[in-house]
Amino acid sequence: MARVLSLVQHRVSIESPRVARRDDALVDRARRGDVDAFELLYRQHAGRVYALCLRLAADPVVARELVQDTFVKAWDALPRFRADASLTTWLHRIAVNALLERRRGEKRRAARVSLAGDEDEDEDERDIAGVVIGPDVATAIDLERAIGALPPGVRRAFVLHDVEGYTHEEIATMTGLAAGTLRAQLHRARQLLKRALSL
Amino acid sequence: MSEHTSPDDRLNELTAALSSEIAPPSDLWPAIRGELAPRTRRTIHWDTRWRLAAAALLVAASSSILTMFAMRAREHAPATVAVTPRDTAPVTQRLPAHLAVAERGYERSVDALWRTLDERRDSLAPSTVATVERSLRIADSAIAEARSALEQDPSNRVLAELFVSNYERKIDLLRRATELAPRT
Repeated sequence: MARVLSLVQHRVSIESPRVARRDDALVDRARRGDVDAFELLYRQHAGRVYALCLRLAADPVVARELVQDTFVKAWDALPRFRADASLTTWLHRIAVNALLERRRGEKRRAARVSLAGDEDEDEDERDIAGVVIGPDVATAIDLERAIGALPPGVRRAFVLHDVEGYTHEEIATMTGLAAGTLRAQLHRARQLLKRALSL
Repeated sequence: MSEHTSPDDRLNELTAALSSEIAPPSDLWPAIRGELAPRTRRTIHWDTRWRLAAAALLVAASSSILTMFAMRAREHAPATVAVTPRDTAPVTQRLPAHLAVAERGYERSVDALWRTLDERRDSLAPSTVATVERSLRIADSAIAEARSALEQDPSNRVLAELFVSNYERKIDLLRRATELAPRT
């Protein structure tokens, strides 16, 4: 159990010194306008950024747009990227910001009513009820589906904390969520997932 | 899964087993590549553009103080005078005296900043020039609107404040744009 938790909680920090040094060199080149270097950074990190976006958005089309936004913004902001920070974490922050901006825009436009209840606990029951539970649900694929069926706010908390391994403080920095809200959302997410997976 | 594994432990195990990477669509990189602005020393980054916008807002806020002074001055000089016509301002427009004086000062600053910006225009990225020009068009439109409304209601302090703040915003945008353009 402890090993599992350790794996979860440190997923974000798994970046070998060699990879980090290679990132540094590529970042330096990309800062000077070397698009080929930036493409290598993209190839190296896009899988993790896409996984995060896909889980946060639960929509491949939106995830694709988020990844695109993330790397375009990263290119623009790269000159200000601090070398002592993790590039993965930095990219993830950009992705989360892109998602939050998108959600705010959607709420403002009120075009997608289904997202209006982002933080509404009443939505939890309705959304999670959409998960189809079969006899062999305890698999990664089913977990992905169940995560995708979580309400957006709850899903964001679970993905960032339990899947990506960010600390409460890091998530608070990324999302502006209060500690109590985050704890409640995490608890809610786990309850809903356990129910959805018949655990 | 062990018989004794708790639901929480099982959920943790499943979560830990999730793939940390998922391959993005193969055509995503070309789409991203197409959106990357060329990186030169002249390139303006989005945060700079945001700073421009934020500065404009700050200037708009601070202009209320200027307006307050302007409105106090107006109490001592309530007469209206014809504004010196400019190529962009209709001859028939009339403003309260203190605003007309303020406008002439603003326009002198605008002219000077435009000359500087014109000299350095080639050193700015086209996207930056477009952004600046778009922002200036918005500022000009706002000035014209406030001016037109003031013609109808010259004693309206809110309109006067808007008029002043819009000029301040325009000047601030121009000043920042000239600062961004390196001297040639």
